[in-house]
Amino acid sequence: MSQAASEAGTASLLERAKGLLRRRGILIVLVLLAWIALGAVLKGVNTLALPTSENTPFTSVLREAAASIRGNRTESPAFVYFFNPIRAFVESFIELIRAVISLPSGDDIIPAVGWLGVVAIIGFVVFATSTWRTSLLAMGMLLLCGVLGMWTFTMDTLAMTLGAVVLSLAIGLPLGVWAGLSDRVLAFLRPGLDLAQILPTLVYLAPLALFFLIGTAAATIATMIYSIPIAIRITSHAIRSLNAGPIEAATSMGSTRWQLLTKVQLPMAKRTIALGVNQTMMAALSFVVIAALIGAPGLGKPVVEALIIRDVGDGVVAGLAVVFLAIMLDRATTAAVVRTGNFVHESGSARIRRRVGLGAAFTGAMVAVVLSRYELWAAVFPEQLIIGESVSSATSAAAEWITTNLYFLTTGFREVVTVGFLNPLESLLSNTPWYVTIIAISLIGALIGGRKAAAIALVLLGLIVLTGLWNDTMVTLAQVLIATVIVMLVGVVVGVLVGRSPRVERIMKPVLDAGQTLPAFVYLVPVLALFGPTRFAAIACGFFYAAPIVVRVVADGVRDVPSSMVEAATAAGSTKMQIITKVQLPASKRSLMLGANQGLIFVLAVVVIGGFVGAGGLGYLVIVGQSKPELQGKSLAAGLAILLLGVVLDRMAQAGAERRREQGSA
Amino acid sequence: MTASVLAPAEGDVAQNSAISVRSLWKVFGPKADTVAGSPAADLSRSELLATTGCVAAVRDVSFDVAPGEVFVVMGLSGSGKSTLVRCLTRLIEPTSGSVLLAGEDVLKASPARLRELRRTSFSMVFQHFGLLPHRKVIDNIAYSLEVNGVKRDARYRRANEVIELVGLDGYANHYPEQLSGGMQQRVGLARALAVDPQVMFLDEPFSALDPLIRRDMQAEVIRLHRDLGKTMVFITHDLSEAMKLGDRIAIMRDGAVVQMGTPEELVANPADDYVTDFIRDIPKSHVLTVRAIARPLRPEEDSTGPEIDVTTIIRAATPVIIGAGSPVKVMEAGALVGVVTSDDVLRLIGTDGGDSQ
Ligand SMILES: Nc1ncnc2c1ncn2[C@@H]1O[C@H](COP(=O)(O)OP(=O)(O)OP(=O)(O)O)[C@@H](O)[C@H]1O
Ligand SMILES: [Mg+2]
Repeated sequence: MSQAASEAGTASLLERAKGLLRRRGILIVLVLLAWIALGAVLKGVNTLALPTSENTPFTSVLREAAASIRGNRTESPAFVYFFNPIRAFVESFIELIRAVISLPSGDDIIPAVGWLGVVAIIGFVVFATSTWRTSLLAMGMLLLCGVLGMWTFTMDTLAMTLGAVVLSLAIGLPLGVWAGLSDRVLAFLRPGLDLAQILPTLVYLAPLALFFLIGTAAATIATMIYSIPIAIRITSHAIRSLNAGPIEAATSMGSTRWQLLTKVQLPMAKRTIALGVNQTMMAALSFVVIAALIGAPGLGKPVVEALIIRDVGDGVVAGLAVVFLAIMLDRATTAAVVRTGNFVHESGSARIRRRVGLGAAFTGAMVAVVLSRYELWAAVFPEQLIIGESVSSATSAAAEWITTNLYFLTTGFREVVTVGFLNPLESLLSNTPWYVTIIAISLIGALIGGRKAAAIALVLLGLIVLTGLWNDTMVTLAQVLIATVIVMLVGVVVGVLVGRSPRVERIMKPVLDAGQTLPAFVYLVPVLALFGPTRFAAIACGFFYAAPIVVRVVADGVRDVPSSMVEAATAAGSTKMQIITKVQLPASKRSLMLGANQGLIFVLAVVVIGGFVGAGGLGYLVIVGQSKPELQGKSLAAGLAILLLGVVLDRMAQAGAERRREQGSA
Repeated sequence: MTASVLAPAEGDVAQNSAISVRSLWKVFGPKADTVAGSPAADLSRSELLATTGCVAAVRDVSFDVAPGEVFVVMGLSGSGKSTLVRCLTRLIEPTSGSVLLAGEDVLKASPARLRELRRTSFSMVFQHFGLLPHRKVIDNIAYSLEVNGVKRDARYRRANEVIELVGLDGYANHYPEQLSGGMQQRVGLARALAVDPQVMFLDEPFSALDPLIRRDMQAEVIRLHRDLGKTMVFITHDLSEAMKLGDRIAIMRDGAVVQMGTPEELVANPADDYVTDFIRDIPKSHVLTVRAIARPLRPEEDSTGPEIDVTTIIRAATPVIIGAGSPVKVMEAGALVGVVTSDDVLRLIGTDGGDSQ
């Protein structure tokens, strides 16, 4: 009875919401038409276009500031007592790890531990924290990196990643615990944590290189700034989401605050915190690879070099090594997470077996370490095993074959999207007078997200104009929007399939998992091979990077639609298609908005990296500034513009989602 | 209303009570501390919420619990039972009032003293068990000894004793999630017993258990109470559980104690409709003693019938009453209180559960 009533209520609400939407849709179309008309009339007027080599007043100021900072590095107290000591500490910490596994010190020709020793140590550690299966997998992945001829690069990346993770956790875990215990601390940290979630990796690079010089230290610190918020966020969430019952019980038994923390809260939160370690590590790895742009040693370097000379084969070889390393780190930490949460009584014999196994593994690892110090074959990865060259040339040949024989697929698709969609949109955004564009975007923001979204758009876009990089921002925005639309189209279709069918989910899960662990940078290589150095390459890259998260969010949303709703619709005789379009998609609208929001942020993060492969826009300016001091001001300003753009996109998407929710519950 | 009549008066602190509570208030909400003692204190729950935005979860509660007594607190959901018991141990800080445990003012205890009291003098059993999932049964039970700095050997010895006491032998090295609900609550009980506290607080300890296990556990508590003589404050909203376990029962509504007394007093003289409603389903003959139906001997009746004690529960006395040919004499300390016949019993049973249909 009451259920029927509430269903009827929901139905009429839906009707009302639909009516509103339709009216709003018409208004949006009107705004768009007006924008296009004005754009056609005033084409090329007040577009604020600026040649790459030219500075604006604002970028000149930044350039001067950057120059004075560089000049002050040896004298100013801020550097002598703050930045330089931090840099020295971080650098020596990383160099210490590198001396063990990757960098020969002094007159040695090999690092302290050779490849066999490293493989054995990692195998032992993974075995001790998870299972022997995972341990074998981890060792296999490492060996593959060696086989590709990337051993030393891999070790550099590993050293950088581990070093950055250790330092990040040393700061992030205590802060996260503190934020988990105290509302005030969390409130204080929150703005920073929120901003960190939308900030594209590329933005961190320029300012950090400025303060910490190009090299290991700047790269590590940038990595830390990127990954510490993740550690804080997950740790504080872990503490906050604990079941209150055991904590109250422990309090009632007279625990001190410290006892409560160490004997109850931390052990109970261990599993989620371990998950945080996993996430921190994956974030650090992906950043370390990109940080090659500011001089980080490791696998990012060959990737960057291959991208510069467009050598697909070499790029793929280095990219594969990144993939293997990512899989190894992810699997190893995930397995450790699973083991962490197991509160099961182990039988005596199982325990003994495990002890013996651990002892044997430890002995084996020690033997391997000693061997790797005294035997050349165990110290330097054997030349005969390396097949990197042949993989490289085979890949180049394959890419060649695809681009010549499947021309219609790669170039054809690229041209359709570029000519049909990207060019008109880019022209609308960047060739229309800037004030027209700002007003049009703000109006659309008002229609989608209400007055607040409009105000935010107006102010932040105005700030972008002040940076002097309006035109480049619009070029980037066009790519971001096109990529997001494609991601959403594909993401919704695949997400619905995954959400509706457990079988499809099983098939897709490994792909999605892998997609979410891979560093954004590695997507550039194959994309560049297929589509050449174009704006479309950046779009494709953004698509590949963002698709997994969008699919996942949409699938979760579809799966969470109450089965009673679907049953009722089936009983009413709906077809499969009707159920999807009339029940499941509307009911999971919030997930769709969330997916769109995530998609936008992920796409933005990668599209700007696409500046590196000829996509132009803000990303290109950021990167160019790294090698040309006279453009450093522009590089910093471009970073700022990316940040502003990110906030605009995020706020508008969120305001839209919120508004939708309000209407749903009104 | 009637609470003030039945509850002990302010200032008259019973010296030998295990627990003595006076004018205890707990108000949730903004400016909570201004409510008690102000005119707002007399407002009803919804009026208070509307005018001040506060919820008075416990309002002006006073009672005493004698050593060795089982004191049951009852009331509908949201009536403030949990809040009350948490105020007694300061898991929730009361807004005002006083709580004396064995003569010591708990509310004035320093944090260190409060911890010490919690570690040694009182302990609590929770509705949802609150076991520590990452610790084995034995380490759960030994937890309060551990935080009190007891050495490993000593605390394991003690923990093993209590494990046996609650019948969990052989499960010491299991983790909580490997146990059934009833066994988990035994761990909860054992944990509360481990420190040998003077007072135990049990907040709906058996509500999450199915009826059969619940009956087992009730028997367990009765046994523990008989053997160890602990003072207990027991919260439940199951009336038959309250009747079975309680020496005295306090009934709460909207934060205040409506009536307090022995089960028999409540059934015989419910203070108002709320209490009447509460006890409606209880068969009076299971609770009342023969005193409740004893009447003077009529001249025409035979005075040679058998004798029973005045404290006998009617149900227990029924076979004797039916078996006797003549009125049964109800005796108190050798003196005749009155007589009872099977007609009197039938009349009582006839009114039982009448309105529940
Ligand atoms: N932390 C809190 N903040 C605000 N109000 C609270 C808080 N805790 C309890 N209350 C309110 O106090 C009142 C009493 O709650 P309490 O949990 O003591 O009830 P209860 O009698 O134990 O109910 P139940 O039988 O459901 O356990 C409720 O109205 C509740 O909403
Ligand atoms: Mg309760």
